[in-house]
Amino acid sequence: MPSHADLDHQIEHLMECKPLSETEVKSLCEQARTILVEEWNVQPVRCPVTVCGDIHGQFHDLIELFRIGGKAPDTNYLFMGDYVDRGYYSVETVTLLVALKVRYRDRITILRGNHESRQITQVYGFYDECLRKYGNANVWKYFTDLFDYLPLTALIESQVFCLHGGLSPSLDTLDNIRALERVQEVPHEGPMCDLLWSDPDDRCGWGISPRGAGYTFGQDIAAQFNHTNGLSLIARAHQLVMEGYNWSQEKNVVTVFSAPNYCYRCGNMAAILEIGENMDQNFLRFDPAPRQIEPDTTRKTPDYFL
Amino acid sequence: MTDSSNLSSLLEEEDEVGENSKQQIKPLPSAFSSIPNRPAIQTSLQKYAPLEWLGYFDQEDYVSIAGTNDVFHIYMAGSEGPVVFCLHGGGYSGLSFALSTSKIKEKARVVAMDLRGHGKSSTENELDLSIETLSSDVLAVLKTMYKDSLPAIVLVGHSMGGSVAVHVAAKKAIPKLAGLIVVDVVEGTAMASLIHMQKILSNRMQYFPTIEKAVEWSVKGGYLRNIESARLSIPSALKYDDSKKCYTYRTRLEETERYWKGWYEGLSDIFLSCPVPKLLLLAGTDRLDRSLTIGQMQGKFQMVVVRHTGHAIQEDVPDEFASLVLNFIARNRIGPNGVEIPGLGWKKQKQPPDEISTIQE
Repeated sequence: MPSHADLDHQIEHLMECKPLSETEVKSLCEQARTILVEEWNVQPVRCPVTVCGDIHGQFHDLIELFRIGGKAPDTNYLFMGDYVDRGYYSVETVTLLVALKVRYRDRITILRGNHESRQITQVYGFYDECLRKYGNANVWKYFTDLFDYLPLTALIESQVFCLHGGLSPSLDTLDNIRALERVQEVPHEGPMCDLLWSDPDDRCGWGISPRGAGYTFGQDIAAQFNHTNGLSLIARAHQLVMEGYNWSQEKNVVTVFSAPNYCYRCGNMAAILEIGENMDQNFLRFDPAPRQIEPDTTRKTPDYFL
Repeated sequence: MTDSSNLSSLLEEEDEVGENSKQQIKPLPSAFSSIPNRPAIQTSLQKYAPLEWLGYFDQEDYVSIAGTNDVFHIYMAGSEGPVVFCLHGGGYSGLSFALSTSKIKEKARVVAMDLRGHGKSSTENELDLSIETLSSDVLAVLKTMYKDSLPAIVLVGHSMGGSVAVHVAAKKAIPKLAGLIVVDVVEGTAMASLIHMQKILSNRMQYFPTIEKAVEWSVKGGYLRNIESARLSIPSALKYDDSKKCYTYRTRLEETERYWKGWYEGLSDIFLSCPVPKLLLLAGTDRLDRSLTIGQMQGKFQMVVVRHTGHAIQEDVPDEFASLVLNFIARNRIGPNGVEIPGLGWKKQKQPPDEISTIQE
């Protein structure tokens, strides 16, 4: 069991965008698991806390986020999932967040996003990145096994409900969510899948999600859910919003997205949501970190007619 | 990629031959010795012999467009569910969907047309492959086939055909259009690849002494990865050249360059603007351009990256392709006459059934 000094050293190393060794990752994930297994499906969180959306392996933008929002543990953080895939530094990003969790378990909360999954990471980059950086898939396995333990949602001071995606037609109350058996791969359908995949929509009621997983929910659904559960707000991530954050559904729902210039091509701003000591809300927006060059993006030209 | 797949297939073949000849030289005396020897290994001629479409599709038909001399050839299959209307890529034919149709037709109807200048269709101007002409051809065929009793349509288009499907959908001229499936074509990467197209076309082998040789070349050259599909689809992409006494391509793609840009320009935004459920099937992750990356990250369409396949996903992995199409239909509850259950008002039905059976009710 590494001491705090060892962990501090590892965090320092990671902050320079240097990955840990395979053995270090293994030990880190084991420690993280013992912490996460104790957490709840609806993990209680105290204010003040800063709520963050998707990061997607954009390590330098995560460092920018800490520069804007304050360093951990000086600032408490709640991350709403999607740490890996798409960006080029998923390994460093997720290792850093997990190391911070292990070092400061009460000051940082990390939820599960739809990309914290074995299946998705094999398509969208994290698996390949692990192979490239470690020469084998062990690190990918340590992390994806750990992802099964991540809490699905969090609740700030019994008022602000935070999760990656959105609501589920199978889950009317927070107690319904508390009753889920969460330690498993994200299923293709069902309540756990919905929490990680659903989106708010302009239309009322429930709709079939165009994404192919989860649902769309209207303002009536969100208002009902907040009323039933005594909530003031649903904070979620999952959707790119050009301004970094976006209020919807008569302020029942806010979307926070923290990967600026997503995929190094979308030109969007990023944002984080500061919730203060009196539950006051303040959004901080930021642009991509300055020193970003898109790494090799050469693509194979497809034989389009043939 | 192409080279290595070449090598391995050749090696395999040699191995098989070696094994077989060994067995013939010294058969093992055993209780099973009365079992006849394995049949001789397939010759190249048998291995790449053309296959008939009947059995994959149920029937074919010719659709004459009123007021023109254009006659479009279509393949049809299935008897229930919505119509999955398939548009092939440039240089292919409706038979590009033959293998996947044999599975899709269990749950839905399939129509695959030979586009202008392709397959067994014959038109006044075989070289007018402009996006406008191709799109109006599709609408004319649909109108002639179904008159005023149009069923629910799911448009499926591969490559160039994907662009046609998107443009047809965007015209909002099909009242019962219920879904749009685009197969491995994205504006950004397609536009970037246009400059290489003439070279890719001229690098193709141009003349084949037999159809079998053309099938063999398509597989060994890496253009198609599924031999059965190549045996079905490649023959329809060829014509016999009497003067040269050999087979060559039915479609003179290299003479249609002026239309290529029109196929792909603005495609991503037009795709996103189509007001129906959308599925984008890609053979590689990194093919999304900016518009589609934003659209996907805003949850505006479903994207599936199909692994271990080449560009012609429907030919290379037909079963997986068919499952994806049928799941899309089931998930979006597309029945023979349109969406069966409206999005609203089924909250009580906690988990909506995800089985294909719902669309047949």
